Amino acid sequence: MTVLVCPAYLTVRTPDILIRLCGAALAAEDSVTLETRALRFSDPFGLAMLGATFYMLQQRGQTVRVAGLTDAVGGYLQRMDVFEGVELVDCALPRGQRHNQSDALVELTRLDQRSQIDRTANQLAEALVGRMPDIDLNEPYDEMSGVNTADRITIPISYALTELLNNAMSHARLKRHGDACVWVSSQYYRSSGRLQLAVVDNGCGILETLREHAALRDLPRKTDLEAILAALRPRVSCNRDLGVFDDSTNQGIGLTTTARIAEHAGGRLVVVSGAGYHDPLGRSRRLTNGARWQGVAIALECQRDALLNVRIRELMPPIEGMPPLHLRFEE
Amino acid sequence: MRTQIPLIQHAHGHLIGARESAIPLRLQVEEALASGMDVVFDFTGVEVTQSFIDALIGVLILKRGPDVLDQMVFKSCSDDARAIIEFVATDRADQYLKTRTH
Repeated sequence: MTVLVCPAYLTVRTPDILIRLCGAALAAEDSVTLETRALRFSDPFGLAMLGATFYMLQQRGQTVRVAGLTDAVGGYLQRMDVFEGVELVDCALPRGQRHNQSDALVELTRLDQRSQIDRTANQLAEALVGRMPDIDLNEPYDEMSGVNTADRITIPISYALTELLNNAMSHARLKRHGDACVWVSSQYYRSSGRLQLAVVDNGCGILETLREHAALRDLPRKTDLEAILAALRPRVSCNRDLGVFDDSTNQGIGLTTTARIAEHAGGRLVVVSGAGYHDPLGRSRRLTNGARWQGVAIALECQRDALLNVRIRELMPPIEGMPPLHLRFEE
Repeated sequence: MRTQIPLIQHAHGHLIGARESAIPLRLQVEEALASGMDVVFDFTGVEVTQSFIDALIGVLILKRGPDVLDQMVFKSCSDDARAIIEFVATDRADQYLKTRTH
């Protein structure tokens, strides 16, 4: 039996500790017990990483036990559906007690088919906004735009989630990772007005996806961080041309636009893949002490109210210098 | 002759965004184009992602060239949807023309 001690915080702000814990669990060859007495807080990124790790261990037939959960943290994790198939030992879980609803949260969700993307992204975004206590879902629609405040928050969240899932469900499944899954979790923190979306996959990782791409081909050292930075540039995709994967192509814009949504909403898109960690606030680096995540783990953080000012049309890359087209638009 | 495609019928909420969702629609479009019909994409009540629009029309531009756009009409687009269509069409037309001239 492998026993691992959980740190106090499982969050995107402490990625090395979190990812090292997941890596240690996945390196175990027998049952894994996670000792959680010290755990005080996990954000959606931590939950999604933990959920993905538990799932992979269970798929390999390994027993997963969680021991020593305190009442507050245990109730939260239970409500977020992190414990599916997990044995809880010596845990003080509240019975029939609901988590404080002032912070809207959406349970951990696992996707394993591309056909689930649209339904899941819309449902999760609507659920998150629907649980925000200060948002009136019945607010009258604006006559000009045909949407209300709830819609104006929901749409950019759906957009970002959909693009992240599009990427995860296609690129993650290359290079003999056809059965890769994606985990999604989200929460709105009312006191700070911030929200976090987390999308984690257990696929082949960005470096493998882009290894032969021109953006990396000529680099003397191809690192996970270089691959992440390349993936964030517009028009960088492993399958931008026809014929690479049947007729499935990708413009290489989805991740760029998602990062810009976060930025325009006063936030950031943090990307972890392999040993690379990219934080646009200037702390991009290699993860320490051998920490690495085989797939891709992303956290989008932003100010909820700033989403009201996001205009997707302003986030598209420029098209100046390209031949003008006559497109037929009708009212 | 025109074939109407109301996108709202294929949406699961405010947004239709998965590349996967565009594939059956694109097959429908290709059938209509092959029989000489114009295709009207009706965006009433729905927003779209760039990936969805690329999988719907960007792939057709790469396959057939930008002239395929002459048979397409984009109806009742929001400002965001219109900008996404303009970006995808222009970018893919540029890519098509570059691959044909090099």
